[in-house]
Amino acid sequence: MDHRRKRGSARRALLRGFAGGCFALLLGGAVLGTSAAHAEQVVRIGALYPLSGAVAKSGEDTLNAVKLAVDVINGKYPDSHLPFAKPGGLPGLGGARIELVAADHQASPEVGAAEAERMITQQKVAALIGTFLSSVAATVAQVAERNEVPFLIAEAEATPLTERGYKWLFRTTPTSREQARDFFLFLRDLNATREQKIKTIAVVHENTLWGQEFGTSMEGYFKEFPEFTLAANIGYQQGTTDVTSEVQRLIRLKPDVVVHASYDAEAILFAKTYRQFNFAPQGVLAIGAAFSSTAFRNALKDDANYFLVREHWALDLAGKNPLTAEVGKLYQDRYNKAMDGTPARAFLAMMTLADAINRAGSTEPAAIQKALQATDLPPSSLIMPWDGVKFDAKGQNTKARGIFVQTLQGKPVTVWPFNIAQAKLVWPKPASE
Amino acid sequence: MNQTSRAIPVAGLRPTSSMGHAVAFAVLAAILLLLPLALGGRPFELRLLTIIFLYATMGQAWNILGGYAGQTSLGHGLFFGLGAYTSTVAAVTFGLNPWLGAVLAVLVSGAAGWLIGLPCFRLRSHYFVIATLIVAESVHLLFSEWSFVGAAIGLELPIRPAGWLNFEFHRNKVPYYYIALAMLTSVTLFVVWMERSKIGHVLKAIRDDEDAARSLGFSPLRFKLIAMVISAGILGFCGTFYAQYVLLIDPPSVLSPSISVVIALIAIFGGIGTVAGPIIGSVVLVTISEYSRIYFSGGGRNLDLLIYGALIMLVAAYCPGGIMSLVRRVYARNRKA
Amino acid sequence: MTVELLIQLLVSGLGMGFIFALIAIGLALIYGVMGVVNFAHGEFLMLSMYATYFAFALGGLDPLVSLPFVALAMFGFGVAVYYLLMRKVIGGATHAEIFATFGLMVFMQAAAQFLFGADYFSIDHSLLSGSWRVGGITLPMPQIAAAAGALICTAGLYALVFRTELGRALRAVSQDRVAALTMGIDADRINALSWGLASACVGVAGSLLANFYYVFPRVGAVFVLIAYVTVALGGFGSMSGALVAGVIIGVLQVISGLFVASTLKFVPVYVLYLAVVLLRPRGLLGRL
Repeated sequence: MDHRRKRGSARRALLRGFAGGCFALLLGGAVLGTSAAHAEQVVRIGALYPLSGAVAKSGEDTLNAVKLAVDVINGKYPDSHLPFAKPGGLPGLGGARIELVAADHQASPEVGAAEAERMITQQKVAALIGTFLSSVAATVAQVAERNEVPFLIAEAEATPLTERGYKWLFRTTPTSREQARDFFLFLRDLNATREQKIKTIAVVHENTLWGQEFGTSMEGYFKEFPEFTLAANIGYQQGTTDVTSEVQRLIRLKPDVVVHASYDAEAILFAKTYRQFNFAPQGVLAIGAAFSSTAFRNALKDDANYFLVREHWALDLAGKNPLTAEVGKLYQDRYNKAMDGTPARAFLAMMTLADAINRAGSTEPAAIQKALQATDLPPSSLIMPWDGVKFDAKGQNTKARGIFVQTLQGKPVTVWPFNIAQAKLVWPKPASE
Repeated sequence: MNQTSRAIPVAGLRPTSSMGHAVAFAVLAAILLLLPLALGGRPFELRLLTIIFLYATMGQAWNILGGYAGQTSLGHGLFFGLGAYTSTVAAVTFGLNPWLGAVLAVLVSGAAGWLIGLPCFRLRSHYFVIATLIVAESVHLLFSEWSFVGAAIGLELPIRPAGWLNFEFHRNKVPYYYIALAMLTSVTLFVVWMERSKIGHVLKAIRDDEDAARSLGFSPLRFKLIAMVISAGILGFCGTFYAQYVLLIDPPSVLSPSISVVIALIAIFGGIGTVAGPIIGSVVLVTISEYSRIYFSGGGRNLDLLIYGALIMLVAAYCPGGIMSLVRRVYARNRKA
Repeated sequence: MTVELLIQLLVSGLGMGFIFALIAIGLALIYGVMGVVNFAHGEFLMLSMYATYFAFALGGLDPLVSLPFVALAMFGFGVAVYYLLMRKVIGGATHAEIFATFGLMVFMQAAAQFLFGADYFSIDHSLLSGSWRVGGITLPMPQIAAAAGALICTAGLYALVFRTELGRALRAVSQDRVAALTMGIDADRINALSWGLASACVGVAGSLLANFYYVFPRVGAVFVLIAYVTVALGGFGSMSGALVAGVIIGVLQVISGLFVASTLKFVPVYVLYLAVVLLRPRGLLGRL
């Protein structure tokens, strides 16, 4: 064979291979897209969570709750008393089942937006749910708005998200500002019952969006609650190797109360360092479940006690609401891990979305949007200790309420609001050793 | 087809081969220009190609310094981030048009490149690598705290009516595709030109033997700085493009160290110091990472990254010179046959 | 500002510093012998921490007991990585090792999450938990043990490198590869040995670190950037340099965390590195 022709054929083969590859790629996507076109009995929901990177653990826990909710709705747990569990599927749509399309947004707003767009246009999802991180929620909200598909924020707390008047955006979780206020309400309530008043508060927060926003929100309330003064607002870098200097600063400042915004990793680190240096303020309070999570309790054993967490949910409220116990058990059995407030909020959001789709009786985004706007869930149908779910004009749920949970004898127990407390608050925090 | 089949870069066949090249490029250009028409209802593929062009441009920019001048930087994400922040801050606080913002971004990033290069080029090999890494990380930390640039919360671009003048497109993202394609094409043509120009030759001489280049009368520092400024400036523009594309920037998405590593990886993976390297690197790496994410990430077990990492290792082990070395090997084998 | 606080900071900083040093020593060793920076070094740390944790959680072995086994296993792992991956990469094009070890890093992180999930595990009560109090100063036991471990490790490595025949070969390869080859030294085996030893070092570091730090798939990323800076500040290829630099960095970050801003506590460390290498282009104790 003439060597030139052979080279040519090799080159052609290479080119053909490349072109073919590109084509197959596009085609593959196309085939997938069409096969994804939904049959009548399926409602597709897109879920976006951070499944890799620094907050992968939270993303994993939260997506697990969404998956659990979907399985409950689809009738996988027929003995359950949760909504939709008995009939299985959405009766409003002739028993349609929900199909979850999940993806990792890698904590990147760009990837989140791209995935949202792909899910909407190519996977034909009827609605989106997610995203744990507020930065990603911001870009996903833009995509949802532009494509006119409802997007339900289940856990992202940054206050501005629901302040720009998007029409396709809904949020069941309370904002970080509302949550910051609960700390002051709780401490004021506590002061009313005690001789020795709590005066100084130190805020310790991680330095990504969530922590910084919470720190700023806290600072903003000292005017409204003048009996308290800010001892210090200490930011630290998320993913730090040690927190000795941070704790040393706290020891020097001697605040009455420390309020934390930390993810799981640094919650453990801080608690361990507090113990090492015998730092004992009257109480350590935290937003988010990190200071009462399973990992935290396993890591600190007895020393995990007495930390207070501003929670959304607690298993011990089962006395008031049997659904709480049921969900807690389902989650524990399936994932071998206690459910905390963040997965609980994700579960609730998925249920809220299913309720709206069911009432809409359609997978049309516009119908679902209308149904969401009309949502008015009573407390009895929720797994949360909330007054209900009802969205204001901006899409923010107005009926969310906060509770404080204290870890006592290795179990998180509801201690505030005092009228629904399941155990008496232990205050001040007893010294360890 | 016969024409293309003869388009092989063999000495002695240059005229035909360059003609074949021209035809091949014309076909490629036509495909790339018309492709968006075929991608009407497929925004994901459109975005995939846009991102591939963007990363390929970034890889080309890195390659100017890393591949041709031999100065491995693992901090190039800094210039990308600075570019994104410059145009965004200008738009948010002064209402500057993004195209003018882009010019500003190129200038700021270029100047930053010069400022960083001046001291850092005194360092050799890995001392330089670590220096670039930590300068970038320091800026990342500072920007996460600096409230003027939105600290950790970042900045959102003002939503303006879609259009070329505003460098913003909402429903139809095809223009972003063309801008990215234009960006890649012009930078690639520049690199082709540079490779043959005096600058290119001097840079390669510096890479191969700095002392020899100096003895020939060329100041290595001066040429390294030139390479750095060009490279940083291009990345500055890429940053503006990204900011205009996503319309939201925050420190982790434009300044995180992983961006720097990916920029370098794309050039190295494709073939360091070659024109096609960064393009091939971007096509392969971005495609793998995107599709593996789509198909395997939903399980939440990081299966996508498992595959991605394994593939990179495989390529490293079996073609350590990057994909371009594989291409060359195929050519060479055919030549022998 | 009391003397007590200053001493306390110094103690804490030294504790962290020795850990940084111990992690960095392995990197320095590989660099010294092969001129390669291992991007997956942090993931080696992660792997040894998981090994330590599972030995504790499943086998009930205290980290102090499992330490030699973890180190030994990591030695084997390092040698395996060398033969299966790095040997094919070295001698290829420039920087092929960057993408090889970067791929390994991504792979190991993903594998950890694939196998163990993204959750945080930690050892609650080991022989080394708790702390001593001397006067007003708190001496955290795990950190003290880590410091001791780092010192012993460095001393052991030094003895190996400077007092044994094997060490002579190791140094020969690192100083002049070609000459070493002509003298009949099997460079391949020396390379494998350096990967093994470096991994064993990071295995010890992981074991000691697991006493007070939690394990999760990305734990390596937390420590590895500092490890790079430690190696570079100390001088590439210098083990004693890594030790000195680790201690300096540990102390400096604690002090600047208190007086500057907590979020920026590593910025002074970075500035120090730049200042040192601009005045001394080969770090504190390195060679060019």
